[in-house]
Amino acid sequence: MGANRVAFWASGFIVAVVCLLGVAAPFIDYDPASAVDYDQQLVKPSMAHIFGTDGQGRDVAIRVLKGIEAFFLPGLLASFIAVLLGALLGAVAGYSQGPLRAGVIGLLRLLDTLPRLVFIILVVTIFDPSITLIAVVAAVLFIPPIATVIRRKVEALGSEDYILAHIAHGFRPSRILLYHILWLQCRPILIRQATFVFAYVLFVETGLSYLDGYGVQEPTPSWGNMVAQTRKLPSDVFWPWIVPAIAIVVTIAGILSFGNLLARRDEEANR
Amino acid sequence: MNRALLLGLATTRRLAGGLALLIGASFLIYATVRLAPGDAVDAITPMGTPPEVRAQLAAEFGLDRDTITGYVTWLKRSATGDFGQSLVFLPGATVMEAVWEPFLRTLVLSCGSLLACLFLALLGALLLGEPNARQQVVTGPLYVLTSAPSFVVAVVFAQAMNWFIFTYFVKAGYQAPPWFPIPILTESIMPYVFAGFALVAGDGLFMDYLNAMRAELLNLRRSQFITAVKAKGARTAGHIARNMLVPIFSGYAARLPIVLGGVVIVEYIFTIEGAGYVLLEAARARDFPIVVGVCVLFTATIITVSLIADLVRALADPREVARGG
Repeated sequence: MGANRVAFWASGFIVAVVCLLGVAAPFIDYDPASAVDYDQQLVKPSMAHIFGTDGQGRDVAIRVLKGIEAFFLPGLLASFIAVLLGALLGAVAGYSQGPLRAGVIGLLRLLDTLPRLVFIILVVTIFDPSITLIAVVAAVLFIPPIATVIRRKVEALGSEDYILAHIAHGFRPSRILLYHILWLQCRPILIRQATFVFAYVLFVETGLSYLDGYGVQEPTPSWGNMVAQTRKLPSDVFWPWIVPAIAIVVTIAGILSFGNLLARRDEEANR
Repeated sequence: MNRALLLGLATTRRLAGGLALLIGASFLIYATVRLAPGDAVDAITPMGTPPEVRAQLAAEFGLDRDTITGYVTWLKRSATGDFGQSLVFLPGATVMEAVWEPFLRTLVLSCGSLLACLFLALLGALLLGEPNARQQVVTGPLYVLTSAPSFVVAVVFAQAMNWFIFTYFVKAGYQAPPWFPIPILTESIMPYVFAGFALVAGDGLFMDYLNAMRAELLNLRRSQFITAVKAKGARTAGHIARNMLVPIFSGYAARLPIVLGGVVIVEYIFTIEGAGYVLLEAARARDFPIVVGVCVLFTATIITVSLIADLVRALADPREVARGG
């Protein structure tokens, strides 16, 4: 129990910091072009530049901070879309019978067979390569796993006595589905899945930005294109890329374990 | 009905289902292409593509017809393995010529890594047994480390290797002794090994697999029929192994899409010329037939592997077939 408490508060702290900085970052003025300073190239971390400077003399710390912008809002958007549509489709498939149910399940299986990253690259090739579009596509691709879990849960709950009692009581199906099943019973599932989608968007954004010509392009900072500097730097210069790399790992781990532990708390509180 | 007939029926049904999935998924891919804004040919070709190539491309993809008949045209061609010709990446070559060999490399790399991951997860599940507080000291941090994206693991790994080689071998003027079998500077098989390691260690794959295998194993060991086997004095290993087959295969199939995502960027980092590398280069050059070809091949792989997992389920669990599943 002790270790779980520590993990919960530690991951909660990480999530709080990311959210705070994600909200604050757009208000900080940063012009990547004027930050270039060739007299200050590859300065080691010091008081003036706490994470040092990169190959073009730009302060690493502020670029890490501004890099949050690249995934923060798209990630929230994707979590919202995926959870909303996933929960609704799952509830519909679990509650209805006949062709509607079969149709929804078939569509979900189709979406689930698409290779996610490859499909995102395909979409990016055809349409404009904005992170928002990537996030929306990622959200759509994450509907099937969410909807499947919700559908199973709805099917299992549908035959419970108290749900039958609600039906007998004359509650509207929408109220039973949305409140009594989705909100009261599926909240932990939805929390887990939302953090999972957010982490996936962070993964795709940084992963694609790491590659030249995809995702966020230099000089706009992204944790991904900052890690990509490894390709241009001497091998004993590590500070310009190690900080964003750690930031990626810590943020993903923090968000995933926070979602997991929050969901577990919710489950225990409801038991 | 006898078991062989039921099994045959179940197999046929699954094959038909897999084929239907492939057709449906390829329609989704095709429809995405057709959603392109403006002139579809403009959207999918690089600037300055000569008109005859544009016309050929439009005919290949059925872009001059409506979505449904266009799809049927394209499906008829691609069902024979003809995904058209490469435009920029390997001009003149068919997509299959450009993609097939890299695709096999990717397949070996990703399926091999996942197999290694499965092996490690099973080993861990067998060794660790019941979860306890002391284990969390190790598994907690391991969970954090392995949830790193595979490409970050790959970058760190490649960087650390470069630094190590540079400081201790190149700078120190050290030469590998003649008896040392593996070339130290990353030639030959080394990129594959590192890439495989990054895929196993990244994307949360290992811990997720380990936890799943542990839970399955614990459930199985606690189940009543294993108690009954023990009570009879028989050995449980065979029963446990057979009952683990289903979770092992379905877990493998469920995780393959994750690996197939990670492998794209990891190949790029280690410059392994696999399908992911080809895909990224082709997409950058707007070589569209290749992008679609790789997308379809990856989809087919995912469907095939989950089909195999389904068939294993039918073979290993007679209830599944008897139920008509």
